[in-house]
Amino acid sequence: MAPSEIVRQAVAAGMDGIALTDHQSARNTPAIAECARRAGLKCLFGMEVQTAEEVHTLALFDTVEQALDMTDWVYAAMPKRVNDPETFGDQPVVTWDDDIVEMEWRILAMGCRRTIPETATKVHELGGLFIAAHVDRRNHSVLGTLGTIPRPLVDTEIQPGGGLFFDAVELSRTADETLWLPKVEGYAVTRSSDAHNIDDVARVWTEADGEFSVAGLKAIFAAKSTRISPRLTSF
Amino acid sequence: MTFNELKDRVGGTVVVDNPEAAISAAYTSDLLSDVMGHCGDESVLITIQNHLNAIAVCTLAGIEAIVLCHDRPAPDDMIEAAKREGVGIMTTPLSQFEASVKLADLAPAKR
Repeated sequence: MAPSEIVRQAVAAGMDGIALTDHQSARNTPAIAECARRAGLKCLFGMEVQTAEEVHTLALFDTVEQALDMTDWVYAAMPKRVNDPETFGDQPVVTWDDDIVEMEWRILAMGCRRTIPETATKVHELGGLFIAAHVDRRNHSVLGTLGTIPRPLVDTEIQPGGGLFFDAVELSRTADETLWLPKVEGYAVTRSSDAHNIDDVARVWTEADGEFSVAGLKAIFAAKSTRISPRLTSF
Repeated sequence: MTFNELKDRVGGTVVVDNPEAAISAAYTSDLLSDVMGHCGDESVLITIQNHLNAIAVCTLAGIEAIVLCHDRPAPDDMIEAAKREGVGIMTTPLSQFEASVKLADLAPAKR
């Protein structure tokens, strides 16, 4: 799934903005930044951090530099094992015009040793948004793995501005909101495609009135004024 | 212990067969980073982690079979990967503790 294809698909679907959040890495954000700039599409840059609790979380930033700083911090706490492409698939780092620069050598399929509180603090220090990913999934979600949405328990964990670890929670594309919204009360809710294939880009989305930036989304999340698209019932 | 003997012990339902498995040790955990850090060759993993990454960890750690507890179903991508990597999968209605008890004479798996 090349960055240029993702941007093309998102523009064709009428999206105003997208976010790239590869698993444990933001190394392809420079490529999608250039594609999005050329297409006039807004883009946030981030990654899906798999924490020490083996929970998937989303870190979103305004700039590629922030996302790459986050990547360095996660990489420093990853198992130093070499990826076997035959087993886990290729992990290409690409240019905006679809050339492969190199293959990431680490196994990105693994979790890192950073906990949710540590990761939340790092994301917020870097000026990003921290979102609990696909909370309706049984595996790799706060609710599935931990049974609850963790909150700061001690003063040192309270996030900048007196906030919680998570700025919002994400529902997957198939989540039945009548079932799941009561379980995430108090949090702004997003729905995103979590696209792993080009055809899945922009099949679900989140709408809101405001600016598509970290500050804009922070305000939207604080007001809990997101509107999520219908779920997919067949795909 | 063969895969078939393992199945009989835990009352398992075979999802992916592994007739070549020679299982001498066992490890019970639902945290895959912990499994990767501690589980070793010729072992069976007793877990509820019914997803693709569990197979990835088996490949790295030398685990030959997975017992999925509480009858958690193996998704298609997990089944495909298990076939490709030669990892056996079975489900059991037992809990992780109950399945471990049934296999208590196996050695503790170690790296």
